[in-house]
Amino acid sequence: MNIKRLIHVGLLLVLLIILVIIFFRKGGEERIKPASSTTFPEQEPLSEEPEETTQITLFFPSEEDTLLHPEVRDIIASSSVGIQAKQVIEELIKGSQNGYISAVPPETKLRELFITEEGVAYVDFSREIQEKHNSGSSAEISTIFSIVNSLTYNFKSVKKVFILIDGGEKQTLGGHIDLSRPFLPQHDLIAN
Amino acid sequence: MWIFPFIFFFLGFSSYPQNQPFLRLSVKDHPGLSRVLIESSIPLSFSIERSGSFLFVKLRANKPFRIQRRPFRSRFIKSLGWASGRDFYTITIRTQHRNFSYDSFTISDPPQLVIDVSPNGGEERREESRESPKRISVETNKEERKVPSASPGRKSVVIDPGHGGLESGAKGKFGALEKDITLDISLSLKDIIEQKLAYNVVLTRDKDVDVSLENRAAEANNNKAYLFISIHANSSYRKEARGSETFFLSLNATDEEARRLAYLENNSAEFEDRIGGDNEDDIKMILWDMAQAAYLKQSSQLAESIQKELNLLLGTVNRGIKQAPFKVLTGVACPAVLVEVAFISNPEEERKLLTEEFQNNVAQAIYRGLVNFLRRYSQE
Repeated sequence: MNIKRLIHVGLLLVLLIILVIIFFRKGGEERIKPASSTTFPEQEPLSEEPEETTQITLFFPSEEDTLLHPEVRDIIASSSVGIQAKQVIEELIKGSQNGYISAVPPETKLRELFITEEGVAYVDFSREIQEKHNSGSSAEISTIFSIVNSLTYNFKSVKKVFILIDGGEKQTLGGHIDLSRPFLPQHDLIAN
Repeated sequence: MWIFPFIFFFLGFSSYPQNQPFLRLSVKDHPGLSRVLIESSIPLSFSIERSGSFLFVKLRANKPFRIQRRPFRSRFIKSLGWASGRDFYTITIRTQHRNFSYDSFTISDPPQLVIDVSPNGGEERREESRESPKRISVETNKEERKVPSASPGRKSVVIDPGHGGLESGAKGKFGALEKDITLDISLSLKDIIEQKLAYNVVLTRDKDVDVSLENRAAEANNNKAYLFISIHANSSYRKEARGSETFFLSLNATDEEARRLAYLENNSAEFEDRIGGDNEDDIKMILWDMAQAAYLKQSSQLAESIQKELNLLLGTVNRGIKQAPFKVLTGVACPAVLVEVAFISNPEEERKLLTEEFQNNVAQAIYRGLVNFLRRYSQE
């Protein structure tokens, strides 16, 4: 009786361990990969070794025309697309260094960004992107496609962009452009 | 044997990694009524609004729901759909008849909202009307006669004054609000059309009230709109931005949607009776969701025709029509455009937008564009 019981308990433990391993390995692969939430401390450059950088291209509207203009910038290199994509959005929120217009309200925070295996980047912004937005069709189009084109241009693995606000799906930024479907990039909005 | 519960525990756990609340929608027929059941994993606070043959159930939600809809076939319910907003979900219940009554109650454990829909006028007629479509059309006409703006026999043009109520849209430096300008222009466009053409004009709002984007499209579809024109005033980050622009819908067409779109474009003749027809239920859902997909070609022609007149009015050359995924246009089942009259963000244009003269000129230009389009479209 006792031995039989011990064997049962032993079997159960082994099975449990196997299931736990399977669960964590499978879960890790299948679920959308959230980019690590590490933010890059801005007070840094104490470290003497210069960090490796990589070039990204951001898109901003300009006073000149109705197109989006590229602005090249260096960011800290990372092997994770998720982390780099986060940096692209954070740089976009900081605004242009060449006098272009910033179409994402500067008060906006990037809450989360993750990329699914199907190539949809879910970008979750704080509510300021809606509240501080200069509502109007053209303004909404500028904001949305400066985000969408900046992500798809820099990362081949990003095919579409889904914009979330405050963790959820929203209808529009200010009553015009539909946010309830993912956006494909609009190449004809890019200058040149 | 005692191992199995553990296996199920793990399987269950790994397939639902997030603790996301769900909504389960189902419909069941009972004698004399159809019961819509909305089950949830969390307590619901809701309101129900009725419009035409629709019931809109608005649910407050802080978190996104996972929504499951069971396929169904029902005597009194045509379709179920949903849309999500800032912090709410709207479940759209489409009934088979405009003339119906409903009753709702809740059950708290587990949280459920029950809505019973029954047609008015007793069981006998109900059974009859299912068999004889003539009876239905008589009923519909009776209903329509009550609404002054939709007298039968005439085609309807639906004009949608953008924004309204708490949602004021774009704001100008001198305090002009988009919602006021869009309403003024829409009202004068309505007057012009009614004076000169044999069309009914239906406004999605005729005063300063909130109307959801879905309800604007629903208004067009319930009135079997022949054309839909949404009026807006633009705003840009660019100080210099000026002029009129006319948009028609672009779809963020994914592969799946591109296929649907191709289907709708190739079969648009089938959709002549649109929402009111006798098509299968699943086609109805496509129509409701992406109805505009079947009318993109005509919508682009309407946009072009209107833009041409606006260019003449404002002396602009070479300003073409544009395409963007406007929420308000997606569900409209007829040619539909959105006119951005001028930029409220440009102080010079803002001042113009506030004058009656300019508002009238714009309405006249849109009217001329509409007439030019109708000449071609009604011959098709």
